[in-house]
Amino acid sequence: MTLRLAVATTAILLVIALPLAWWIASGRGVARALVQAIVALPLVLPPTVLGFYLLILMGPLTAPGRLLIGLIGHPLAFTFSGLLVGSILYSLPFAVQPLVAGFEAVDKGFIEAAAGLGAAPVRVFSSVVLPMARGSLLTSAILTFTHTVGEFGVVLMLGGNIPGATRTLSISLYDLVQDSNYDAANRTAVVLIAFAVVALLAIYLLPGVRKLDGRQADVVR
Amino acid sequence: MEGRLMLSDSMLSVKIEHRVGALTLDVAFELTQPWTVLFGPSGSGKTTVMRAIAGFLRPDHARIVSHFYGNDFVMTDTAKRIFVSPHKRSVRVAAQGATLFPHLTVRDNIAFGARSQTDGTSAAQIVEESVERFQLQGLAGKSPSMLSGGERQRVAIARAAVAAVSVGSGCLLLLDEPFTGQDLQLRDELIEELRDWLTVFKTPVLSVTHDAGEAFQLGAEVIKIANGRVVQQGPVDEVLAQERIRLLDQLNATRKESRA
Repeated sequence: MTLRLAVATTAILLVIALPLAWWIASGRGVARALVQAIVALPLVLPPTVLGFYLLILMGPLTAPGRLLIGLIGHPLAFTFSGLLVGSILYSLPFAVQPLVAGFEAVDKGFIEAAAGLGAAPVRVFSSVVLPMARGSLLTSAILTFTHTVGEFGVVLMLGGNIPGATRTLSISLYDLVQDSNYDAANRTAVVLIAFAVVALLAIYLLPGVRKLDGRQADVVR
Repeated sequence: MEGRLMLSDSMLSVKIEHRVGALTLDVAFELTQPWTVLFGPSGSGKTTVMRAIAGFLRPDHARIVSHFYGNDFVMTDTAKRIFVSPHKRSVRVAAQGATLFPHLTVRDNIAFGARSQTDGTSAAQIVEESVERFQLQGLAGKSPSMLSGGERQRVAIARAAVAAVSVGSGCLLLLDEPFTGQDLQLRDELIEELRDWLTVFKTPVLSVTHDAGEAFQLGAEVIKIANGRVVQQGPVDEVLAQERIRLLDQLNATRKESRA
């Protein structure tokens, strides 16, 4: 369940985060600051706050919630899909921020060179900026995946701990401790720690992950 | 001067007023020749003019219009709030410094702006022709990081020329300090190749330099600019007469030295 959630969250988030990060990296002014602040919100907000409002929004107490229930026939809360929505919002900064840093590190000279050769903005992004910032794409994916695996508050609020549907490793660890089953809790915790260490090591060790980032234009004068 | 008479109509009208730091740029000129050189010392505003034509910069006040085959294409008109994106302009650019894409091979860099033609010529054929013309056969498969500074510059020129030729007639090629740092013999060969190729496609060139020797080698129309103003425009022999005397003096001095 944990793995399924993390894979789905990472895949969907990358699709959302790529254009969003490119917009932030190339934007300026108040709109950019506002979007950055909203993206960063889950970093400072207690996950329970996000979970609470999502729960309310998905439930039958509010108009959007009723509309949603009318559309899909059942409440989104306490389902895998509901959990997915929460995860996506909660991990958004972990997907977006490495990408913004990676895109901003691509020297403007390369972007102008591509435009000056007739490339439209979409092609500048896909053929120049993205390949040059590919390390940050991998960093973004690994961080999102790892963070989703380690998520607790939002999952607890939204998922309701239903075995086989919404129970993730971090939640089952909490259950095991509540039941004073420390041996099993220990096994679960070790798995989570090992996974996190491997993921972070990958970010810092993998050849090419950071290599192309921040490379400056080869200026010959 | 048959070349001068052949294309006497203006291909590009430029009028720019722009403040950058301490410099107030205020220039107006028409491009009428196949190759025009924007000549001036560093800090005179040459690169700002190029960036404005390319669409990398929105000047305070400007009107930049290309006229190819009787069609006016307004690329910048601040009074009418017109500003065309760089990639939609009838302009292709090799900016200052060879900004080759580090994740692509030399051949893929050159092919970046290549397009197949309506007459059936494929993009790959245009790329191969440029590789041959600019003698890049030995470099085509390499990564830009393996090239010397001069080689990178040569590839950057080939890349921009391929993009301009791909647009076909009715496209201006902008070159900012394209030959700086090339050894002189190679530079002259490069200029001849480039000129021959672009003539076929009737692609006009506006190049920037602070090197009088390069301007004479090009034998082109010269627009001399200083402190943000156009000082003079005309054939290189007229506009750079003083610089010519200085160059000849230098040449004589080095000859005497080598004899001694």
